[in-house]
Amino acid sequence: MASRRIRIKRKALSEAAGRRLTITVLLAPAILVILLLFMGGLITGFLRSLGYFPLIGLHDFNFNAYTAILSDNGFIRSFIITFHIAFTSTLIAGILAVASAMLLRPAFRGKRFVQFIFSLNLTIPHLVGAVGVLYLFSGSGLISRLATAAGLIDTPAGFPPMVNDPWAIGIIIQYVWKEIPFIGVIVLAILLSVGEDYESVARSLGANRWQAFRNVTLPLIMPGVVSASVIVFAFTFGAFEIPWLLGTTFPKALPVLAFESYTDVDLAARPQAMAMAMVIAFMSSLMIMAYMKLSRRYVRS
Amino acid sequence: MTQVTLSALTKQFDQKSDPAVDRLDLQIESGKLTALLGPSGCGKTTTMKMIAGLLRPTSGDISFDGQSILSIAPEDRGAVMVFQNYLLFPYMTIAENIGFGLKMRKMDRKEIRSRVKDMLDLVQLPGFEERRPRQLSGGQQQRIALARALIVQPNVLLLDEPLSNLDAHLRDEMRELIRRIQTEMAITTVFVTHDQEEAVVLADRIALLFDGRLQQFDVPDAFFDTPKSVEIAKFFGGTNFIPGFYQDSEINTSIGRFSAPHSAVGEGDAVLSIRPEAITLGANGDNSVTGTIRSHVYVGRYARFRIEIGEVEVEAVTDPGAVKMFSDGEEIPVRFDPNKIWVISPSPDVALQDGG
Amino acid sequence: MTDLKNVSADQNTELAVPVSSAGSGRRFRLRIFGRWVGITGLLTFLIAPIVPLFIWSISFRWFYPAIFPTEYSGRAWSEVINPNNDVVGVAWNTALIALVVTIFSILLGVPAGRALGLYEFRGKRLVEWLILAPIIVPGLAVVLGIHVLFIRAGLSNTIPGVILVHLVPTLPYMTLVMSGVFANYDTDFELQARSLGAGRWATQYHITLPAIFPGVVVGALFAFIISWSQYVLTLLIGGGQVQTLPLLLFGFVRSDPAIAGALSVVFILPAVLVLLLSSRYLSGDNAAVGGIGNI
Ligand SMILES: Nc1ncnc2c1ncn2[C@@H]1O[C@H](COP(=O)(O)OP(=O)(O)O)[C@@H](O)[C@H]1O
Ligand SMILES: [Mg+2]
Repeated sequence: MASRRIRIKRKALSEAAGRRLTITVLLAPAILVILLLFMGGLITGFLRSLGYFPLIGLHDFNFNAYTAILSDNGFIRSFIITFHIAFTSTLIAGILAVASAMLLRPAFRGKRFVQFIFSLNLTIPHLVGAVGVLYLFSGSGLISRLATAAGLIDTPAGFPPMVNDPWAIGIIIQYVWKEIPFIGVIVLAILLSVGEDYESVARSLGANRWQAFRNVTLPLIMPGVVSASVIVFAFTFGAFEIPWLLGTTFPKALPVLAFESYTDVDLAARPQAMAMAMVIAFMSSLMIMAYMKLSRRYVRS
Repeated sequence: MTQVTLSALTKQFDQKSDPAVDRLDLQIESGKLTALLGPSGCGKTTTMKMIAGLLRPTSGDISFDGQSILSIAPEDRGAVMVFQNYLLFPYMTIAENIGFGLKMRKMDRKEIRSRVKDMLDLVQLPGFEERRPRQLSGGQQQRIALARALIVQPNVLLLDEPLSNLDAHLRDEMRELIRRIQTEMAITTVFVTHDQEEAVVLADRIALLFDGRLQQFDVPDAFFDTPKSVEIAKFFGGTNFIPGFYQDSEINTSIGRFSAPHSAVGEGDAVLSIRPEAITLGANGDNSVTGTIRSHVYVGRYARFRIEIGEVEVEAVTDPGAVKMFSDGEEIPVRFDPNKIWVISPSPDVALQDGG
Repeated sequence: MTDLKNVSADQNTELAVPVSSAGSGRRFRLRIFGRWVGITGLLTFLIAPIVPLFIWSISFRWFYPAIFPTEYSGRAWSEVINPNNDVVGVAWNTALIALVVTIFSILLGVPAGRALGLYEFRGKRLVEWLILAPIIVPGLAVVLGIHVLFIRAGLSNTIPGVILVHLVPTLPYMTLVMSGVFANYDTDFELQARSLGAGRWATQYHITLPAIFPGVVVGALFAFIISWSQYVLTLLIGGGQVQTLPLLLFGFVRSDPAIAGALSVVFILPAVLVLLLSSRYLSGDNAAVGGIGNI
């Protein structure tokens, strides 16, 4: 009797151990690569930002790089413009994405085509979109030419600066262009899976069209909108090539500033570049935490 | 109190398929409980949604008290629909759910709170204000959905399959609740069901739909006693249909001639229909023929026999005592009660031709 | 849930607005009109930035303020195709890198996705966090540090280095997609197969693989696109020694719009292809969409 119980126990134990082994074997390679590359890169960057650079004899930790960038007006301006880019793009893209999803929800003739175009942007690289925006909105771009033809302006200089401009309009247009379909597809999927019956109930109970949207549809899609927006915000805060192409020379977007400091011939700028990279990482960590929190709440309800 | 009239109401979702609702004419009496009965997919929900203004009819008209309401937005119709799957708003509390309609009408919050409380008392869930929909059982959710509709004091209450998602005992409870509230408030109520028994127990009148078309609109008993077609009789549990020729209150069939004073048709080809309960075993006399017992089952409170009479086989239901009196293979006289025989047209479309 | 089916089944334009449907005919028509204005506006905005790229690619002379080129030519295209200019070589290079990256992402991401999708275990949230982090933290924030490591490891300015760094965005993404696939996968099918006499590998081949295949394809296609469109990671780790299409394109944006236009079109092609192949999976409830923010 006793020996049998022991055998069962040992078997259960080995089963649990086997399960653990399976999980470890399955996860280990991927985790290892991510740890080495992502965490390795992040930690190296962090150490360098603290001035730790054993190869050239620097072993002390200090916050010099951080104090340097934080007291640098250029960095502050960069931070502000970068935040402005990320925040404004995300907000506009979010609102327009919800509107687009509502437009695309019902069946209509040509819906498949419209949906195809809508999701096309998902796969078109940002860089191409940026080039397109440049050729469309620059002083000698297509829209400026159309404005000239319409007699609104006479010269490219008469066209309001929309690329490489201080308000980052071109960058924001590009992000909005690219992210509407990204958020929109997610919202559309939620709308379709939730169905229209909740709104029908609301209408039946006396809500008008706007009230039904405001009180019923919006709360239902909000978790999806917010978690998609978090990804968009983090991306637009840290993306490099679009502000590099469409941004101003001063203030530069943070990623551009970091990259240029890093590739600067002056090695002293390196810790500062790393510090800026850490600021970008920190901002996106905030976003991850928000994301995790929101996605958990989303799953729950 | 509102009388709802549907005239030639039609809904066709897409050109290629048959209409979901096809030229439906119906006069739903004010203050009564009307059942919309039919198998799944016959267009019941579609009809309700059109009445509530949630779906645009392809053609036809809906009027409340003689006024066409097609151009009135759903929120202004005073016809509230309760969906089959309750659809309580998941992110709102129970109180917020019930008070929703009043909030949309911009009613004072205190007033809403007190009315919500009254409603919770009415549906026998007092103190549920702060709970969330997912914490409630199906039956409780159903009652909250009902309270949410009643609080806006609708002129017309539309209940889509209010009982079909509930367990048997909850179903009885809910049935009582609906009946009680409906009589108390005298709201014109339409409820949808695919279960004929439910319709019979609950409704003042039943509208039977097959494939989007009205088959019969009548008081519950009529569907047993005077169904308009074989399909209707079958839907209500009828099993015995014997073709024949009807003339002078008599129907002549392959197994004999029966006197049949009640008929839905005039002279011509017809179908004799008789419910299993109306067949008496071992009784001689008029309207009686000889049959052979093929099999029997004993089902607790009654017994069911299959009897072969000539070419046809009929089903008879008797009290359980009969099991002892007869044995399988025995030849016995079988009597069809003439007052319970109902003669129906053989063509399935006849019921549609003379309307509802 | 039945509505999902119904909505797509409803081909009837006029009835496309169920909730809305009541209301007088005029208001209804006005709304339909408003909808079309909205959809047209949306389409215009989405297509607009692509248009000048195509026009530039076939233009020869296109000075301000001409709305269309005054002269067209195939110059940009012949330069792009010309073997001496090596655009084809660079495109091939880019594709090859993306292909290897994709293969590694599959090999590492599918097992990891299986572990995350099928099992509950201690530390799972930490692992999930670790997988999610590279998707949200911008590449630039880590690539500077990675560069330092790669210089030491001799991986900077090499193709293997570029491939490795591309795994930073693609691998987590693939893992996420596969964990979604496996979360909806019932392992009882495998047990059933085993009990019917299939061996471990036969089960994997006949049962598991067909079940997860569509997910793997979608994940792989997008991993390919993510690598294909990487700019700053390649720029820094490749150090100019590894040329890819986006780097080439960037070089021409200001100097030669015609070539940049043509290169952009080449650059878009696989994206369009991928979309054509996978559009039916792109319904947004698919985890695949979550990672596309990285392209
Ligand atoms: N939105 C819709 N689009 C297309 N067909 C629909 C839609 N809603 C219902 N139908 C079809 O109309 C018919 C009637 O549906 P419904 O009214 O829901 O039936 P019931 O409620 O009686 O079960 C079914 O064949 C159904 O498939
Ligand atoms: Mg129904």
